[in-house]
Amino acid sequence: MACPESLCDLVTKIEILGIGCAKCKRLFRSAKRKISIVAIAVFVFFTIILLMASVFSSKIQSQLILLIPVLFILLVIPVALNYMSRSQYADLEPVYEAEAKTVRVKLINENMIGKPVRIEGVVEQVYFQFLNRPQYLIADRSGEISVKMFTNPTEDIKVNDVVEAIGKVIHRYIVSGDPVINCVSIKKLKKTEDL
Amino acid sequence: MSVDTTKKAETMNRMLEYAVPLLGFMGVFIGIGLLTLHAAIDVRISIIGCLLSSFVLAYLAWIRPKKDIVALSTPIYSIIFLGFPLDDVSTVVLDVLYAASLTFLLVRLRNRFGASGALVKDKTELAEPIKSYLEKNRETLVSAGPESAHSAAKVFVRFAQGDFLAAAGAAESAIARMNNASTLCCLHNAFAIVQEQAERLDKSVPQPERFRTFPPEDVGVLAKIADPKANKAEMYDTALENALILIFACAWTASEKDRPHLLQFQTFVLKLLD
Repeated sequence: MACPESLCDLVTKIEILGIGCAKCKRLFRSAKRKISIVAIAVFVFFTIILLMASVFSSKIQSQLILLIPVLFILLVIPVALNYMSRSQYADLEPVYEAEAKTVRVKLINENMIGKPVRIEGVVEQVYFQFLNRPQYLIADRSGEISVKMFTNPTEDIKVNDVVEAIGKVIHRYIVSGDPVINCVSIKKLKKTEDL
Repeated sequence: MSVDTTKKAETMNRMLEYAVPLLGFMGVFIGIGLLTLHAAIDVRISIIGCLLSSFVLAYLAWIRPKKDIVALSTPIYSIIFLGFPLDDVSTVVLDVLYAASLTFLLVRLRNRFGASGALVKDKTELAEPIKSYLEKNRETLVSAGPESAHSAAKVFVRFAQGDFLAAAGAAESAIARMNNASTLCCLHNAFAIVQEQAERLDKSVPQPERFRTFPPEDVGVLAKIADPKANKAEMYDTALENALILIFACAWTASEKDRPHLLQFQTFVLKLLD
C-alpha cells in the first residue's frame, strides 16, 4: 500500500543516519507500512459522497472549507490511533520478553490464562491483516494455536514464515472459549530447523 | 460420562436442533395464517417463534467448547425486531428471512463448530479416553498411596497452570518422599521427567541432547507409545506427555479428595492424550 512520500523519506533518513532509539525506529517502520485499507475505504467513500454532493448542492460547496479538513481527519485519526497502540505495545515488549516462558503449543491450556508465553512455529494462516488487527494460526510440532494481535506488527508476517510470538494466554471470547495468545510481539526467525 | 447420560444428552441436543427451524417456521406459518385470515390478533406475535428459535440456537452455540459468536448473538436481533414493529406484510417477510437465517446458522454451527460441549465435557465425570486409561491401569496406580497421589495432584496442577518452577519443586519433593517409601517406580520416573522438563521450561532452555525418558519396563502403563523411528524432539515431547498423564491418573485414582480440583484440568489431559 502506498504511503506519504515524506514519511518514507523520514524513515529512510532515520535508518541511513542511524538516529533515533530502537523503539522510534520500530514505530516509524510500522507507521510507514500500515494504514488500514478500511480507513482508506472510508476516506474514499466520503470523498466521493462529498464530491457528488458538492456538484449538486451549492450549500455544500460553501461548506467545503470545513468539510475537506474533516475528510482528512478520517485518515489522520486511524493513523494516530495506530501509532498510539503501536507505541503502547513497544513499551510492553521488553517486559514480556523478560517474563515469557518458551512453551510448546500443546502445553498451553485454559488454566494458563493470564500467563505470558513465547511460542515458536510456522504461520499457517493469516486473517484480518487488512484491519491492522491480524490474527495468525501458528503451528509447531505439537499443535496449533490462534495468535491475536490488537495492533499492527512491526514486520510483515506471511503464511509459511517461521516466527516467534510473545504474548499472554487469554480466552478467545474474553470469558470463555479456547485459549489463544494475545500477542505483544511477533518476529520472523532466521532459523529453519524442525519445529 | 455414562452411556445413558451421553445418550440422553445426544437425544436432547438433536431435539433442540430440530426445534430451531421448527419454532422459526412455525412463527412464519402463524404469521401467514393471521395475515390471510385477517384475524384480530396482531401479526407481530409471530416473531415470538423466531425469538424462541434464536434462544435455542444461542444455547446450542453456548454448550459447544468452540463458541460461535454469530449464533450466540441471534437473540439480540430477535429482541431488536420485537422492539421495532413493522407493518404486517413486512413482519411476515422478516419472519421468513430470519427463520431461514437461523436454520442456515444451525447448519453452519453443526459443520464448523463440532459436537456440543455436553457430549465432550462433563463437570462431574472424566471423559472417555481418560476413563479407559484409568481403568486399564487402576491396580498399578492405586499402589501409589494417598500421599504420593496428593503430591502428584500438586505437581500436575502447578504444571498445567504454567508455574513450571513450582511444578519442578513439587516433583523434587515428591521424589524425595518416595525414596523413603520406595513405592511405584513408574510414578517416580514420571516425577523425574516432569522435574527435568519443568526446570528447562522455566528457564526457556531448549531441548538437551540427553534427557530422561521412561524405561522399557514402564511401557505397559504409558498412554502413548513413542514411535521407535521418532526423532529426539518427538521423544522428548512424548516423555513429558506420558509423565503428565500418568501423574494425573495416579492423583485421580489414589487421592479422592483432589478429584473435584483435578476435574478442571481434564481438557488439558484430553489435549495431552490427543
